[in-house]
Amino acid sequence: MNEPKPVSISVFESTGSQLCVASGDGEKVFRRLERALDRGLPIILSFRNVHTLTSAFLNAAIGQLYGRFEETRIRELLSVEDIEPDDRALLKRVVDTAKLYFKNKVAFDDAMREVEENH
Amino acid sequence: MRSTTWFDADMCALLGSLLYKLNDDLNTVKLTNMSSAVHSILSKNGFLSHYGEERIPDRWGTTIRYHRFETTDDGTFSGYIEHELIHRQELPAMSSGLTKRFRESIFEIFSNAVLHSETKLGIFSCGQLFPNKHTLSFTVADLGIGICESVRRHTGLNMRPEEAIEWATQGTNTTKKGSIPGGLGLKLLSEFVDLNRGALQIVSDTGYWRREGARTLTATLDDRFGGTVVCLKINTADESAYKLQSEPDVVDIF
Repeated sequence: MNEPKPVSISVFESTGSQLCVASGDGEKVFRRLERALDRGLPIILSFRNVHTLTSAFLNAAIGQLYGRFEETRIRELLSVEDIEPDDRALLKRVVDTAKLYFKNKVAFDDAMREVEENH
Repeated sequence: MRSTTWFDADMCALLGSLLYKLNDDLNTVKLTNMSSAVHSILSKNGFLSHYGEERIPDRWGTTIRYHRFETTDDGTFSGYIEHELIHRQELPAMSSGLTKRFRESIFEIFSNAVLHSETKLGIFSCGQLFPNKHTLSFTVADLGIGICESVRRHTGLNMRPEEAIEWATQGTNTTKKGSIPGGLGLKLLSEFVDLNRGALQIVSDTGYWRREGARTLTATLDDRFGGTVVCLKINTADESAYKLQSEPDVVDIF
């Protein structure tokens, strides 16, 4: 069986802006990534023509993937291109923070549930 | 206001938020008895035009217009930043690295207000350029729940307001609970002002927090502000190369 052909997703085309700063715009990218990952498609996410990124945008676009998919699946299927070195560094921090967030979230939610049950 | 002889123009964001709340509570607000210097600066940046006066031309182009945004106005805010801050002829030539990080920092502040404040009354911003001091100040204020209350509601931690601000600027601490992670915005801002040798001040409730010269100062204020104010002061002459951390290989990101 042939390997599935990678799907290209342009951040600029998804959001329609060079300024990728709002969480709501990040959601637009997330929804495309989510569908592609659900279908097991390799993804090349292009940042061409994007000149401003924020952690809020990247958390919504990519960070929340770690709450939906296994890290191994994301590593296997998702790659990025045309991203400036400092933006890549920011993305790396967002990803590391997201992994920690979802790891702690399970423990936090368990603790909160326990507190609620005891009241 | 006659005895007030100086008013940092970017503080219009804060003053505007308070007056907006008064108006929203159906009070009638009139600004009178101002010294001519204060009147002049508040006219140039468009603040007084919200209270029935004409905006007067800013001959030196050092004001950054006062504006109120809804939390859903991120597109309008982007346009405002590009028009008022990035593509201004009067702005000193800043390095491309500084311009990029400055722009990102402004959006981080706005995003923080949108994501965490739960404000129903909007987000207020204003700025001022000081060409001789190579400084640009930009302030964003909201009338939301404040950082301390946000931390308490979302984490159960009870801290003094200034401790809550400090907590929110540390590591990966976040008040986010849903499917979208958070916790980097204020940390990134702190790193930026350290590199730029600028300053970042935050007031929320009775908490005061200031980052300058890679040092943090906190204090408890006598009076409380019902929301959050973030004031960013940048050194426009800075030539630093801006790097967040060592640049990772693309394959190592995920």
